[in-house]
Amino acid sequence: MWKRLLLIRGAELAALALLAAIPLMVDNSYVLGLLTLLAIYGILLIGLDVTVGYLGQVNLAHAAFLGLGAYAAGLSVAHFDFGMLAALAMALGVGVLFGTLLAFPALRLEGPQFALATLSFSALSATTLNEWEGLTLGAQGLQVTRPAFLGMTLDAPGFFWLCLLLLALVWLAMRNLLSSQWGRAFEALRDSPIATDAMGVGTYRHKVAGFALCSGLGGLAGGLYAFNFQYLQPQSFGWDLMVILLLGVVLGGRKSLWGALVGASLIALLPNLLSNRELFQVISAIGLLVALAAGGQGLLKKTTRPFQALAPVVAMGILMAGSLIVENTEDWRKAIFALMLFSVVVGLPEGLMGFAARFLTGLFHIDPPPLPAPASLDAVLPKRVVDGGALLELRGLERYFGGVKAVDGVSMTVRAGEIHGLIGPNGSGKSTAVNVISGLYVPTGGDILLRGKPLPAGSLFKVARTGVARTFQNLQLFGELSALDNVMVALKDVYRSPLPLVLLGFAKGEEKRAGAAALALLELVGLQAQARTRARDLTYGDQRFLEIARALARKPELLILDEPAAGLAHPDVTKLTEIIKRIHERGISIILIEHHMDVISELCSVVTVLDGGRIIAAGTAEQVKRDPKVIEAYLGMSDDSADAAAPALAG
Amino acid sequence: MYTLLIVQLAVSGALMGMVYALIAYGFQLTFATSKSINFGQGELVMLSALFSLTLIDSGLPYWLVVPGGMLFGVILGLFVERAAVRLSLEQKGEGWILLTIILGLLGFSAAENIWGRDDRPFPTPIPSDPLHFFGIDVTPLELSVAIGVLTVMGLVELFKRKTLLGKAFEAVSADRDAAQLMGISATRTIQLSYGLSGLVAAMAGILVAPITTVGPTMASVLILKAFSVAVVAGLDSGFGVVLIGLFLGALESLTSFYLGSGWREAPGLVLLILALAVRPNGVFGKASIRKV
Repeated sequence: MWKRLLLIRGAELAALALLAAIPLMVDNSYVLGLLTLLAIYGILLIGLDVTVGYLGQVNLAHAAFLGLGAYAAGLSVAHFDFGMLAALAMALGVGVLFGTLLAFPALRLEGPQFALATLSFSALSATTLNEWEGLTLGAQGLQVTRPAFLGMTLDAPGFFWLCLLLLALVWLAMRNLLSSQWGRAFEALRDSPIATDAMGVGTYRHKVAGFALCSGLGGLAGGLYAFNFQYLQPQSFGWDLMVILLLGVVLGGRKSLWGALVGASLIALLPNLLSNRELFQVISAIGLLVALAAGGQGLLKKTTRPFQALAPVVAMGILMAGSLIVENTEDWRKAIFALMLFSVVVGLPEGLMGFAARFLTGLFHIDPPPLPAPASLDAVLPKRVVDGGALLELRGLERYFGGVKAVDGVSMTVRAGEIHGLIGPNGSGKSTAVNVISGLYVPTGGDILLRGKPLPAGSLFKVARTGVARTFQNLQLFGELSALDNVMVALKDVYRSPLPLVLLGFAKGEEKRAGAAALALLELVGLQAQARTRARDLTYGDQRFLEIARALARKPELLILDEPAAGLAHPDVTKLTEIIKRIHERGISIILIEHHMDVISELCSVVTVLDGGRIIAAGTAEQVKRDPKVIEAYLGMSDDSADAAAPALAG
Repeated sequence: MYTLLIVQLAVSGALMGMVYALIAYGFQLTFATSKSINFGQGELVMLSALFSLTLIDSGLPYWLVVPGGMLFGVILGLFVERAAVRLSLEQKGEGWILLTIILGLLGFSAAENIWGRDDRPFPTPIPSDPLHFFGIDVTPLELSVAIGVLTVMGLVELFKRKTLLGKAFEAVSADRDAAQLMGISATRTIQLSYGLSGLVAAMAGILVAPITTVGPTMASVLILKAFSVAVVAGLDSGFGVVLIGLFLGALESLTSFYLGSGWREAPGLVLLILALAVRPNGVFGKASIRKV
């Protein structure tokens, strides 16, 4: 524990002290310029990493936000006589404002659409900066004066220290934020937006917040950029810079503050690396060797596909050959960026720092931070008093897809404290009914009442907030998060600290409590030993159990289990039955969709049978098993062979 | 006279819009099979046009240059699929966005160094003396763009509907997994769609080159508008791109007239963002049902 803290914090402090001390040791304006640029790029890339790394979206607008921030700072000094701090706040604010504005249309978008929206925004912003000559002077360029900082005129080292100070503050705030519920929520959003909403976390506010944050940091970096170069031109913030920024984040390593810093140093130094031919030859040779070593190792251990191993070697080989043939490397800078980026994206997706972090934790034997002691289950899931009243009522529920009546007038009541089985052949409308109740689909007709009050229609998020939790037939775990984080992110009634306190690092107490509570839930489903395992590395059965633990983190009154036993091996089915019994003992009502009739018979007091979107039978498991209509629905047999079919159903 | 001028501007713009529609159609082809598009498609348009120019310079007749350029486009399309798309589709990720951007950058840099940074004219046998229709001037060159675009799109559609290979294409578009279970190789079909997309891009480059001149930057604004057309119409809208292409072409021509040519890209970009916000599946696209 202490070793971990000492090494990690020590490395951060040492890096900061070293950077701060360089201007005292070296009196060289060129070096100082590079360092200042490094600090500015550091802030910029930490921001970009929020969308590219944590939200997992290709963001092509970051260079544009740098530009908007730069112009905002420069113009507010020119027109309103702002001081340094006010101008920087202005730059930050403009970034946040435009980021929020863009986030709203981009909200529902994923992958290519998000990339296109940001691409259009940056093209639009370039057009505006170029054409609004009355304000920006267009292509002619804008002269910016560096204003006083709290009444002091900053010389070059002074300005560098200001940039470094801001970088350190951003670093601290982002470390606090990203290790809190916010960081988890960003990653949850990336891995499964549907589950993020269904777990009551909310895709909406987190996507807007993440993007606004990213853009705000872009704007802030822009303000510093303006006061550093003191001359702005619209074309500086175009496509070329955007590609370089992506190179920085990807090469340095995603989801890592250190990665952003390493990336920033690389892209600040890049022009120098390219202009010196001998140096460039050395670099491409190193690149080729790394690609060969990594590719060869991957092939031998069979951890990578042949393409993944060979393509970077080919790309680096071309780079090496090019460095020997081409006279003027500057002319080919775009191709050089492209080859480097290509090799990293294909061959080293975790980036330099991802690779180094694994290597260093192994070298220094750094253990992961210790787990808190699990809380008592009674504190996390207090026993509910069960009154047997109507909990969930469906009245004539309908959901049509075009002409297909997937759910066609279903009325049923789930009483508090019961395990209500919902069965039916494939395509009978069970999953659709659950998807309507949980808010994924808007009902075509009918009512859904929870304790007599209508349930919000068509919003996973709002339904999740009313105390209904669900699992998914096709698993919707947050694959990159650990089992513990999967439960923690869904935890209800724990995270109360407002954003400023989180940024200042005052949310550690509730983090501890959340961890303890989540561990108790993992214990309930028998996963406490795998708390630190990434969800996608769990066995299939354990993934199913993790989904249940995560749904329980919502502390639900009603839990909907959508085919929890599908694909489970027999021992796991037994374990599942035990888990469901334990959950039921806590007074949680359950709707259980299942095909395993023995599970249904063992657990359910009431069973409803659907076929063709309608209810064909209801009663105890024994009653419905003998119901001729049920047997016909499952086996397509007539009444007289019903007795022969009953044992088959029981299996 | 004034209305006539407006109509004239709109018609010329709309004819240019056909080129955007053709490039957007190329996006549709790959999106149908693989839900991916080539973000470096503009470079494909540009490289094919430059290659065709080299063919012309080497003395090849125009009727041989066109298939030559298209073949080059097909090869580039196949290369993009192999180098940038296949791996991330196998990993079910979205790495292809970044990788196709990267390949585009590589292509751009190669063009700058091989063909130079300057824009050059693209000779064509089609005359540019205007014809008059009801007081509006239309050059045969502009007409050739419209005819070429519709011909290529028609032929590709015919191929998809009438040949066995085309049926496989439609099957993979409808349901990749089911098609694979029926013995259709999804990988081969996606490859085919990238090849076709490259062909369409090359055709767009050859058609537009005589009007815009040829150089490394010739497609950088073209591609933004093609994105707009594809998104506003919907990435599965079929011939919907033609209508939106005509509309956007006319709109930008008028914008350029009223606000100045610097703003001509703006309406397309605004429309794209609005479309994504209001109708992410496009005006002619089908809404998809989320399944869990």
